[in-house]
Amino acid sequence: MALLASTRHRALYSLTAARFAASRSLHSSAPVLLPSPSEHNPTSTTSAATPITSIAKHGSNQLSLEQPQNKAEYVLSTLDKVVNWARQGSIWPMTFGLACCAVEMMHMAAARYDQDRLGVVFRASPRQSDLMIVAGTLTNKMAPALRKVYDQMPEPRWVISMGSCANGGGYYHYSYSVVRGCDRIVPVDIYVPGCPPTAEALLYGMLQLQRKMRRTRKNVLWYRK
Amino acid sequence: MPSLARYIRGIRAVGLKEWWHQMQYIGDVKAGTFVGSDQFGNRYFENLNPEQEVPGRHRWVDFAQHDLNASQVPAEWHAWLSHIRREPPPQDVIMQNSTPSWKAPWVENLTGTRGAYRPYNTVKPKIEAWQPKVAQRGTPLQ
Repeated sequence: MALLASTRHRALYSLTAARFAASRSLHSSAPVLLPSPSEHNPTSTTSAATPITSIAKHGSNQLSLEQPQNKAEYVLSTLDKVVNWARQGSIWPMTFGLACCAVEMMHMAAARYDQDRLGVVFRASPRQSDLMIVAGTLTNKMAPALRKVYDQMPEPRWVISMGSCANGGGYYHYSYSVVRGCDRIVPVDIYVPGCPPTAEALLYGMLQLQRKMRRTRKNVLWYRK
Repeated sequence: MPSLARYIRGIRAVGLKEWWHQMQYIGDVKAGTFVGSDQFGNRYFENLNPEQEVPGRHRWVDFAQHDLNASQVPAEWHAWLSHIRREPPPQDVIMQNSTPSWKAPWVENLTGTRGAYRPYNTVKPKIEAWQPKVAQRGTPLQ
């Protein structure tokens, strides 16, 4: 009731504001179309039981996919989780080191950050890898090679774009010979910002990719179709 | 140094329940003094004894959420964890005094949810999907 009254009040207010606007050119009416903050989801929370990530998923297709609605979907989503677990535990990246970012990518493989504990092992062949890390400036000359290598990778495949140059051209954005972001050539899953990103940042990107893999519900999606 | 003796000593220090919890969340048994917890319920520990914890692993966090993520550590505690500040936030007077009252609440990384960051853009997209169009070839035979 209070909500109704407040909307009516706002409508009246906007009417008077419109009348005023005829005499004054200055725009001074209240933003009538904005819903009141109580209708929104909260933008932050400190609860561990319902964290902000779960609030932010309200009403999304993803949340619907994650909640099985019958026995068949329960079985299929469990199957999905097993597949996801297997995939996220053995990501084999195809290394596409193009520039200085590749050095940070090597740091991620080295002893301190030790990607191997996540099951991430560099694989030199695109036909046996799940992930491509595009590390560095993608030039026009290299672009067809990148696409060819991507096309050789088997499904399911993921791409991490590492560094400013791969994300959007970066320092060489206005160069005549550089692709302005590798997402013009291949579909990108995770963008890691930085110039170059630290090995830690890339590792965090790998963790985000694992999170993305865990969200996959391919079998449930197939069943619902 | 990590050893079987250290592991068993850790289990005896923390108890079986905490051992099970830590094996799920940390993947190791770490015994130390409780330093404090943040607004999300993440708990922070410290053990300065170099024979029990390797220096560099002597400050750690025990996450409250099962779906844990490094971005769940708020900025003040991150400063303590990575030795930017020596004192933890509850004892750090300088940090408390220099914290502005209008500071926004900490929100973890929302990538992959509806709260994910989307840049605001009003210009026409620079890339357009290719629409295959085939022109009529040759002239039809009479």
